[in-house]
Amino acid sequence: MRIKHSTSLSLLAGLALVASACGGPAAAPSQSPTQAAATPTQAAATATAGGVAKATPGQSVKMMLLPKFLGILPFAQANKGAGDAAAELKNSTALAFVGPTADNSVQGQIEFMTNAATQGYKVVMISNNAGDQIAPAATAAQAAGVKVVAWDSPIPSAKGENLFVAQVDFNEMGKVMADMALSIMGADGGKFAILSASPDAANQNAWIKALNDALKDPKYAKVQLVDTVYGNDQSERSYTQAQALVAKYPDLKVIMAPTTVGIAAAAKAMQDGKMCDKVKVSGLGLPSEMVSYTINGCAPQFALWSFVDLGYLTYYTSYMLATGAIKGTEGEQFEAGRMGTFKITKDPTRSAGLRVLMGPFKIYDKTNVEAEAK
Amino acid sequence: MTLLLRRVRPEQVRELTLVFILVAVVAFFATQIPNYLAWQTFTDISTGLAIIAVAAVGQTLVVLTRNIDLSIGSVVGLVAYFVGTLLAGTPGMPAPAAFGIAIAMGGALGAVNGVIVAFGRVPAVVATLGTLAIYRVALVELSGAKTVTTDSLPAWLLNLPRMSVVSLGQLDVRPLVLLALAVVIVFQLVLSYLPYGRRLFAIGSNPDAARVAGLPVERDVFVAFLLSGALAGLAGFLFLVRFGNITVVAGQGLELQVVAAVVVGGVNIFGGSGSIVGALAGATLINVLQQSLIRWPAVSAFAQDAILGLLILLAVASDKVILGRLRTIWVQARRRDEERAAATAAEQATHGA
Repeated sequence: MRIKHSTSLSLLAGLALVASACGGPAAAPSQSPTQAAATPTQAAATATAGGVAKATPGQSVKMMLLPKFLGILPFAQANKGAGDAAAELKNSTALAFVGPTADNSVQGQIEFMTNAATQGYKVVMISNNAGDQIAPAATAAQAAGVKVVAWDSPIPSAKGENLFVAQVDFNEMGKVMADMALSIMGADGGKFAILSASPDAANQNAWIKALNDALKDPKYAKVQLVDTVYGNDQSERSYTQAQALVAKYPDLKVIMAPTTVGIAAAAKAMQDGKMCDKVKVSGLGLPSEMVSYTINGCAPQFALWSFVDLGYLTYYTSYMLATGAIKGTEGEQFEAGRMGTFKITKDPTRSAGLRVLMGPFKIYDKTNVEAEAK
Repeated sequence: MTLLLRRVRPEQVRELTLVFILVAVVAFFATQIPNYLAWQTFTDISTGLAIIAVAAVGQTLVVLTRNIDLSIGSVVGLVAYFVGTLLAGTPGMPAPAAFGIAIAMGGALGAVNGVIVAFGRVPAVVATLGTLAIYRVALVELSGAKTVTTDSLPAWLLNLPRMSVVSLGQLDVRPLVLLALAVVIVFQLVLSYLPYGRRLFAIGSNPDAARVAGLPVERDVFVAFLLSGALAGLAGFLFLVRFGNITVVAGQGLELQVVAAVVVGGVNIFGGSGSIVGALAGATLINVLQQSLIRWPAVSAFAQDAILGLLILLAVASDKVILGRLRTIWVQARRRDEERAAATAAEQATHGA
């Protein structure tokens, strides 16, 4: 519990950092008064302070948390965070944490989305794994009065999506990966490859695109991305893909895996092949799964955010949206319990869609991974 | 040529063809992929092959009886996860115990299939498709979304995949590979020489005739499923050793690779003919293709699965045509031989009289 508290503090601090670094419209804790006046009904329904909407606890809202698939740690952590928020908000209807199995992820998600309205759900919180294929079902659900809040992975076209709770800024993600690659390879640079999850994962694809954009900066002139392969979030496939990358590019220096399953599998493959001196692994990983590889140097540096916080914020946002405390329009501000104040903005990383940005990253290395792994 | 054909059965020709195709595939990729003919490639591929080969041996036993075991992927995943969790909880557990538990657990899961198919008379496709889903859901429930991670496993298990039993220069033969080879040899002998092995062929060729002839069809089919499960359990153990990180999707889709290996390896999907060595050759071919395709820069990640599927289809189709031809020629040659022998015998008989 204490650890969580401290991370949420650092999160806030980091959020301020990211926001100010972007210099964009996202920052500004004191919002112009027009925002508060814009929606008088909302002001009447909730206690507003300085244009910041607050949740009214104790209402009954039937909510569904729909991960890409069941059974891996990040999603379980998000469920825990959502559960925390549900307890704080005293929602008398229990949160449903449901999802497809991994082999049926796309069809399964579409099915859950299709049936949400008839089952009486008011909100579906989805980490979308189906790309735009989910859009028709999500649009239909919205028409039947269901709020669709994406988290972790959005609906690319934003069709059928009310809001997207983004864990980090997706463009920032590209820079962070480029920075990690550069810092591991050193000033001389070198070749690196991406080991992604599935080719349909909207968040993965957005990050890869962002990384490609980031690499155009002259700072990364010597960092060369040579290939992108897919391990489908399966240990065995990711493992063989990592082996193949090394065979394909004998002078490869870094495997960048923006997926928790891929990074651990790649690190194991390098360790088993006794190649950790030559090829380093980096990307997004869970400290508890990566600690041994970070200590022995196979994966010297990786990043992640808190999935518990992401689940918490998503639940808070969705609850407020469903109870009418917020409308889900651009410029609204709201208070999400222990995590502080957030603002709904246009999503600059997609052509359409609204975003609530959580952030920031936490970079893990030898110095802090052990403490976090516990 | 005809003499050779008379000596060698078509099935054996087929195994030789597979070996020939394998050599051709390797030769092709050697021209395409730099450093392909390196010992590292051999070590990578052979270690990956070990898991599929062990599972394919079990699948062969089942397919020979005109059945199929589709639950293998889930059995591998469930056993790998269960044993991994067990080892994480009790790091002092001796290696043979973990090994034994994996096999026993796989056997138990296989026995469930066996009971449903052999005694419940449920078609194997339906029954094992059901248990495929049930075992996977059991794994999702059991895991509580936790991953078995490498650092929670004992050192001996982590060192196993890096160990070499035989080291010739840069060629490392991993213990996993030797174990798989041992399994292949033992079960090939079982099929060739033990009454149980021969009965599997009889049951697959004609279940009704086998029953009328008094063979214990139900019991034999049950045992085939049990063995398939036990071998899948062993494969699960190898899976744990090799990958270390076990999530709920571990082993997913493995059943398709295994069935493909068996079919490409010449085991008749309608039962009654095939061999373990053939299944091994099929598994090797598929694994080499797979591993080579992902190392081949000319093909995108998206096209790889399609190309693999196409190659499997080609292998099976061409095989069907060629083997059909060979069989006709072989049968005709045998008949001619018999006729000639009969004619000679008749002639001798008339001369003698």
